[in-house]
Amino acid sequence: MNYTGLSKLFSVFRIIKESGGLRASLYKLYRMDELKVGTLMGTDKYGNKYFENNRFFYGRNRWVEYAPYYRLEYDGSQVPAEWFGWLHYKTDFTPDNDPGRPKYKWMLDHTENLSGTPQQYVPYSTTTQKIDAWKPPCPK
Amino acid sequence: MLRTAAQRALNGAFVSPKQLGVLVTRGAGDAKKPAQIEVFIDDKPVLVDPGTTVLQAAALVGVEIPRFCYHERLAVAGNCRMCLVEVEKSPKPVAACAMPVMKGWRIKTDSEMTKKAREGVMEFLLVNHPLDCPICDQGGECDLQDQSMAFGSDRSRFTDIDFSGKRAVEDKDIGPLIKTIMTRCIHCTRCIRFASEVAGIDDLGTTGRGADMQVGTYVEKFFLSELSGNVIDLCPVGALTSKPYAFTARPWEIRRTDSIDVLDAVGSNIVVCTRTGEVLRILPRTNEEVNEEWLSDKSRFAYDGLKRQRLVSPMVKVDGQLQPVDWETALIAIGKKIKSAGSDIGVIAGGMADAEALVALKDLINKLGSEDVCTENPFPVNGSGTDLRSSYLLNNTIASAEEADVVLLVGTNIRLEAPLLNARIRKGYVHNETEIGVIGPQVDLRYDYTHVGDDPCSIKDLENGNDTFAKCLKNAKKPLIIVGQDALNRPDGSGVLLAAQSLAALIQKNVQDPQWKVLNILHKVAGQVAALDVGYVPGYEKLKDNSKLKVIYLLGADEAIERSQFPSDCFIIYQGHHGDCGAAIADAVLPGAAYTEKQATYVNTEGRAQQTLVAVSPPGLAREDWKIIRALSEFVGQRLPYDNLDQIRCRLEEIAPHLTRYGNVESANYFSQALALALKESATVNKKPISVTQKSLEDFYMTDVISRASATMAKCVTAYKTQQCSKY
Amino acid sequence: MASIILRSKISPSTVLKACSASLSTGAPSFAAETRDINKSICLKEAPLIKKEVGLMKREDIIQKQQHDEAMITIEKPSEVATFSGVPEEHIKGRRVRIFVPPKNAMQSGTDNIHQWSMQFDTRERWENPLMGWSSTGDPLSNVEVNFPNKDDAIAFCEKNGWAWFIDEKAPPKPMKPKSYGVNFSWNKRTRVSTK
Repeated sequence: MNYTGLSKLFSVFRIIKESGGLRASLYKLYRMDELKVGTLMGTDKYGNKYFENNRFFYGRNRWVEYAPYYRLEYDGSQVPAEWFGWLHYKTDFTPDNDPGRPKYKWMLDHTENLSGTPQQYVPYSTTTQKIDAWKPPCPK
Repeated sequence: MLRTAAQRALNGAFVSPKQLGVLVTRGAGDAKKPAQIEVFIDDKPVLVDPGTTVLQAAALVGVEIPRFCYHERLAVAGNCRMCLVEVEKSPKPVAACAMPVMKGWRIKTDSEMTKKAREGVMEFLLVNHPLDCPICDQGGECDLQDQSMAFGSDRSRFTDIDFSGKRAVEDKDIGPLIKTIMTRCIHCTRCIRFASEVAGIDDLGTTGRGADMQVGTYVEKFFLSELSGNVIDLCPVGALTSKPYAFTARPWEIRRTDSIDVLDAVGSNIVVCTRTGEVLRILPRTNEEVNEEWLSDKSRFAYDGLKRQRLVSPMVKVDGQLQPVDWETALIAIGKKIKSAGSDIGVIAGGMADAEALVALKDLINKLGSEDVCTENPFPVNGSGTDLRSSYLLNNTIASAEEADVVLLVGTNIRLEAPLLNARIRKGYVHNETEIGVIGPQVDLRYDYTHVGDDPCSIKDLENGNDTFAKCLKNAKKPLIIVGQDALNRPDGSGVLLAAQSLAALIQKNVQDPQWKVLNILHKVAGQVAALDVGYVPGYEKLKDNSKLKVIYLLGADEAIERSQFPSDCFIIYQGHHGDCGAAIADAVLPGAAYTEKQATYVNTEGRAQQTLVAVSPPGLAREDWKIIRALSEFVGQRLPYDNLDQIRCRLEEIAPHLTRYGNVESANYFSQALALALKESATVNKKPISVTQKSLEDFYMTDVISRASATMAKCVTAYKTQQCSKY
Repeated sequence: MASIILRSKISPSTVLKACSASLSTGAPSFAAETRDINKSICLKEAPLIKKEVGLMKREDIIQKQQHDEAMITIEKPSEVATFSGVPEEHIKGRRVRIFVPPKNAMQSGTDNIHQWSMQFDTRERWENPLMGWSSTGDPLSNVEVNFPNKDDAIAFCEKNGWAWFIDEKAPPKPMKPKSYGVNFSWNKRTRVSTK
């Protein structure tokens, strides 16, 4: 069966099936430019799913599937810090079963990069104006 | 001897007119002069008058002797010893600043002995001078730095073996303008001499002696004088520095622009120091004919007002509120209003308007068919009015005020209205024994004077009277009558002017010098003389009565102008550089340039045309004033025929040629004609005492839009009030 | 202090004159070249002939030679404005001030104030929006040239095609002998009160 290449065809069907049908697979392909299946290693609080499939070579065997509500507006800064380490092979522990990971009350929630949004940081001059302009008095 | 003879002759006792003529010509010749003596400076022969000091004789051949305490305009102190020079056959070096030369002296300013003396003096000075040049504001323009480089020893023998430290002196708080770091003081006493001789305030002095000597105010007191800033320039080290300028810039990174001060009518010559597009400080520029090398505190320190309350963009009233707009919108809106007003337009020019703007605006208004061009400051217009320049100028020039032997001040607090003219009078008072009389309030002028009377009737009394001062005035060789604006801005102002004119005419008869002019009018603002020269009508009384008026153009008019003075439906345009009373009542605002931002002509109270130069560019959308008017003329449909500075200056020259003869005084005459015309109309004076607007130093600091916007000037007013509460 | 003297703008006629001047200076070398040809003809050598001369007919050469010799060279003040390389927008409308630098009021030394200087008028400076530094678009803002006398300064400005005006120096004060003794005179107001 291997010689006929039918196994490849079967695996395609399997991937389509695991991805949730033809329609979902096409959407996934359109959104992420690839169609991969793997073991779901965990989900973060924002709904991003992290997968691992060691069938792929190192560097492509861990990936993130951004939460559906991001649609096409996903970017790397949406991965929270705790998953960042696992995703970039800094650690093999996923955050939920990492014994050394500290958890303090004062830790801030992750924020994505806000550049290009209305919430972005805009620098401003902190020096005083050289000329102080006259403001006309308000009529009473 | 000869002088007494001449005097007797002039009194007409027993010499015939023929002899008198001979005596006068001889007196004017060289017969009186004693023989000059010859001395040798570094083997260069020089002929000098007897009594000349060694230092002055050396200056004549271009040899500069180092000095700390000596200053040309102050008394000789002789205490710094830096000017020690060798005189041949003299066992010890002599102090060049105090020693008069003797016949045949051979002075060596570059000999071994002189060099050694200088090195020694420098060494002693530096023993107790802190080495804080890197944090000293004087650094880079410090006489001690310069002279230790040039004349000091190349190594120090100063070793503080006991680690006792250098001499340290407590700093004094002498007001908001002058910062003191008294450890740096080298006891040259220049500030003390300036205060007591020029400013007339004996507040500064020394206490203690030897190593314990300190310069200070004896008691805890502010050094409050209208000329106090000059001690900063005089101080050869960094002991007295400018407080507002502290730690702002170094002298070598500053751009200097020579300009003219416009905060009073004296027209002091200044250097505007700028860096990064800001005015950082203003220094005096020596002009012997105007301000010598002094500057009044208002002119020197009000520069921070140039950065506050500025008009930076044109504004037009939208829904009852002034809104910033661009030039085109503003000019179109204003142009429409002016067009629809036709000839019902009036102009009020303020005290800081320059001649270019005045001429451009007058041309524009005249083209529109209106003659209502007025100045904000009134002046009597009876008789010849302002047609003859002699009736509104300080005819006898500022410089010659120090030569006067009798001065009569009528209705002016000259110390605050023209501090530098007052300094000249005080100079005459100290060195020429000038007698001074005052009619008006008894203000503090920092010298003794005879109070002649409170009201203008005293002028008439002087004319007819026979009391001591009247006699003194009538017998004077060089008398001056200086009439202030406060005496003329009264309902009976024309009467006051007439009285002054006729008194002046009476005294003028005794004056021998044909160039000497008795009648002098002192103005308060810098723009007034130019405005009168180009034909503006003084005072805007006639605009107030005119109910037809549809548009009023305020060219920097800010003093006591109110909306209620004009018809309620009239459109008010304000053009100027500061938001003050004028801009507040305006319907449209055009931002102009202040005096540091334009090349413009000003005529001072003696009729001397001078020009300011551009030091920084006007802020925001502000532009030079005459250019705004030129641009507006296009929108009004009456194009003015000048496009650049040369062309408008040609127009200035057409109207009044003296306006472009910069630096020269265009003197005026026709005193008798002015008097004859004035006598045709009967003008009387009333008994109401004359009052002046600037009574004490408190009123001096904030008198115009720039100084009112200045925080430094506000601090001065506060300091004055604090001082009044102090027990000293 | 200052009397204003305005320089007239460069008229088209001066440009024309400049052209004719350059033509006439070219003439002697042209004549010399034709003489060289004659000389080498005598020596029976191949002469070095410049292309533009070689292409001319002999009568043309003689005519040009005569024409050039009839030309008069006119001395005119040199004008470097067109070659100085300073962009026109920095020259047009500029005014050079020729003056004697004033003494710094803060110092008693009098070095560096005995010469005449020239300075350009101040053009706009602005604050750099990014760093807040002061900027200017004027390359001549730092030009300050010193001259021993004002005529040199005027000549230099003329040569460079700049409009100029002179600020005359204020007349000096006549020297009056100073006396240490007046500090102590008992009946004069010059008596020193504070010490």
